[in-house]
Amino acid sequence: MGWREALRLSDTAFTELSLQAIYAFRQGNLLPSGATADLVPKARRRVLQSKVMVAGLLSLLTLGVAFILRDSSLVIARAFPYYISPAVFDTGVLTALLGLDLAFLWWTGLQVLPTLLSSTVLPVLETLPVDDRTLRRAAALVYVRLFDLPALVVLVLTPVLVAAALGVRAGLAVLPGVVVAVTFALALSLITARFFVRRVQGSRSGGGSTVLRWSYLVLWVIPAFGMFGFVTLAPAFFNELAHLTDSGPSGLFDLVLLVFPFPLASLPPLAAGGTGALPLGVAGLETVVAASGVYVVLTVACLSWMGGAVRRVGQAPLGGAGPGPTSPFGLRLTGPVRSVLVKDLRIASRNPGYAFLILLPILDALALGLLSYAPGSSTRGADALGLGAVTSAALLATFFGPAFFAIEVLAYSYGRTLPLPDRSLVLGKVALVVAIYLVSAGIVLGLVDLRLRTPLVFLAFILAELPAVAAASVIELGLVLRRARRKGLPVVNLYAGSWTAILIAVPGLFVALMPLVALSLAGGSSSTFALEVMALVSVAELGLAAPVLLGGVSS
Amino acid sequence: MTDPAVPTPVPLRLEGLTVAYGGRPAVQELSLEVRPGEIYGLLGSNGAGKSSTIKAVVGLVRPVAGRVLVFGHDPVIEGVRTKAGIGYVPETSLLYESLTPREFLEFVASVRHLPSGPTGERGRALVAAFRLEEEYDQPIATLSNGTRQKVLLVAALLHQPPLLVLDEPLNHLDPRAVRLTKDLLTRYVADGRRGVLFSTHTMEVAERLCTRVGILDHGLLRGEGSLASLRERVARGDATLEEIFLGLTEEAGEVRAAVASLERV
Repeated sequence: MGWREALRLSDTAFTELSLQAIYAFRQGNLLPSGATADLVPKARRRVLQSKVMVAGLLSLLTLGVAFILRDSSLVIARAFPYYISPAVFDTGVLTALLGLDLAFLWWTGLQVLPTLLSSTVLPVLETLPVDDRTLRRAAALVYVRLFDLPALVVLVLTPVLVAAALGVRAGLAVLPGVVVAVTFALALSLITARFFVRRVQGSRSGGGSTVLRWSYLVLWVIPAFGMFGFVTLAPAFFNELAHLTDSGPSGLFDLVLLVFPFPLASLPPLAAGGTGALPLGVAGLETVVAASGVYVVLTVACLSWMGGAVRRVGQAPLGGAGPGPTSPFGLRLTGPVRSVLVKDLRIASRNPGYAFLILLPILDALALGLLSYAPGSSTRGADALGLGAVTSAALLATFFGPAFFAIEVLAYSYGRTLPLPDRSLVLGKVALVVAIYLVSAGIVLGLVDLRLRTPLVFLAFILAELPAVAAASVIELGLVLRRARRKGLPVVNLYAGSWTAILIAVPGLFVALMPLVALSLAGGSSSTFALEVMALVSVAELGLAAPVLLGGVSS
Repeated sequence: MTDPAVPTPVPLRLEGLTVAYGGRPAVQELSLEVRPGEIYGLLGSNGAGKSSTIKAVVGLVRPVAGRVLVFGHDPVIEGVRTKAGIGYVPETSLLYESLTPREFLEFVASVRHLPSGPTGERGRALVAAFRLEEEYDQPIATLSNGTRQKVLLVAALLHQPPLLVLDEPLNHLDPRAVRLTKDLLTRYVADGRRGVLFSTHTMEVAERLCTRVGILDHGLLRGEGSLASLRERVARGDATLEEIFLGLTEEAGEVRAAVASLERV
């Protein structure tokens, strides 16, 4: 038995994985009431559609970068108030691209790997009379197929477009970078999945364990946050890069070139413009070559490790649990709405995919709030940054609203036998979205208050937006619930129903944005009248949305 | 005390229940009732329609025809009210894997609006009876199938529902837990008001535990009644439930033929 047998096994396993990703039978979902004969092809089609979507987003990102690289001098002249050398700028842009590719693929892995583990497709293969090597290969192939289309886009499209923008030599020079980025993303996904199995999923209940679990999850989310955070921090990044290189060759810049993915991102500008293109210090070129070499060697080691690691992770028992209760017996009971909120937080604390959705808006608010302390940022700028941070928290919390319904896929059929009114379910999820918004906004408020001592304007802004956030999530979750009840399909994750989640988020985002538009039209945050108008619009939205949507679901 | 002048409501009545998946019927015009104080055993081969019937009772599947009445209430019309009176154990122990038994029971009891004090006491007693103390704070994902089944049984019994709907509840349980569950069920209906609908394909269990049984075959009810009445029907006073089952579903001959054909190869 060899690769051919491994491929055949991986095909069967991936089909099963697709079926579980879409219909979640192993997580407790029921057979849909409609036609059932084409469930398998439908599941495969939907997984493919979602992969195409992720690949499409990466293609757009790469295309955008290629356009920037082609006219970098023009972009610098138009977008930056300071000088930055085109080669340094290109290095920065490619660093961002490789970093985003890595973060995006890693994030995809974070979303999809829990499904791979819970579907138990890999342990099923272990019972077959197949040799170890074939099983290892089959497991690795199943894993690679989770990323195939998006990874191919990165590996093929990036060199082609960089070649079109900077020349063939630059296109070839970017190859090591994309190979390293893709490999690191796959390896990091696997490492984090193993960590998840050992430390998070199997962790027991109790206050100490919960705090520890959320700490692990924050640590885990911070690198994935890079994907979003980089976009937020891009101006500061280029500013620092320009500052480092504005007086010619710099030893500090050489040091920066040690950090991934800088050395690999500097290869295409060096290939296109020669060694003089970048303001390298005394040992600059040697630094780039050595650092790139180290990352390539690490990539080879990762590939070799991943060959067997996928199989081991697939079979790993959950760790961390010890016998005995952590506190006296007894049950702490609450109302149905709060019980939904508490259950979701408890589930999220052991599921990084969900934890990510909760933590991203909070970490984004923290990052933006801290950015207002950057040297050189004016009081006015910090003020705008604070308002922007609250706005982005509101929009992010709203955007992720439909995804919180995905938790309901867990034990879906059992959950539906409980006497939980749909209204309580929706309100429980709305409470979660509102809580995320309030925590994020509270962080910004605290940071801005420390710096500017103008908490009242912020508080008014936060409270004025609050009803709109609630209205937006009522709309989104009401629509998701209706669809789930009608179709019998509760799943909303990256590889199952992502289109639905995005489409449903559109009206929600519109509702969340309306009060902000009203504020802007009425005179901005410095005007009390404008804040009153904003609050009025926000309250009106909630007043309209709540009876319509909640009236439509059973009480 | 039960007032003899007031008739005790029927825990469960199915009237012409038909369930289908994609046009393929799983249960056809099934009519039966679980009377007060009764453990009703639903017997049948794999795919006979037992689980589909139970899913219709607990509101997971919408009947294409006929109706279900739980103490006179239709789960399709009064879903929340009906579900509040049911304790359910599904055939597969698919729970919230990320929760611990403590967290799961807290969620279930909160959704059911149960009072803290008495529910805590009852929960503690059930956890001790099923010997779940060691696993009480471990994520359900780490538990064995038998332990998960015990968690489901505790969740179903926690609110002392007037109707218990149990789909193969003894699956994966150790002998002690099997005995405990059987004894609990017998005592559960002793007040003459509650009812239990119990699906199984273990004939010995049904024979010892159930007041009456219904035999399902390809979605149709082939026979129903107490063991004595079914014996009368097959005209064999010493027939076991297994023999009655095979006789009514006309599978006895098929089993003999299958064994003979296997011996030839």
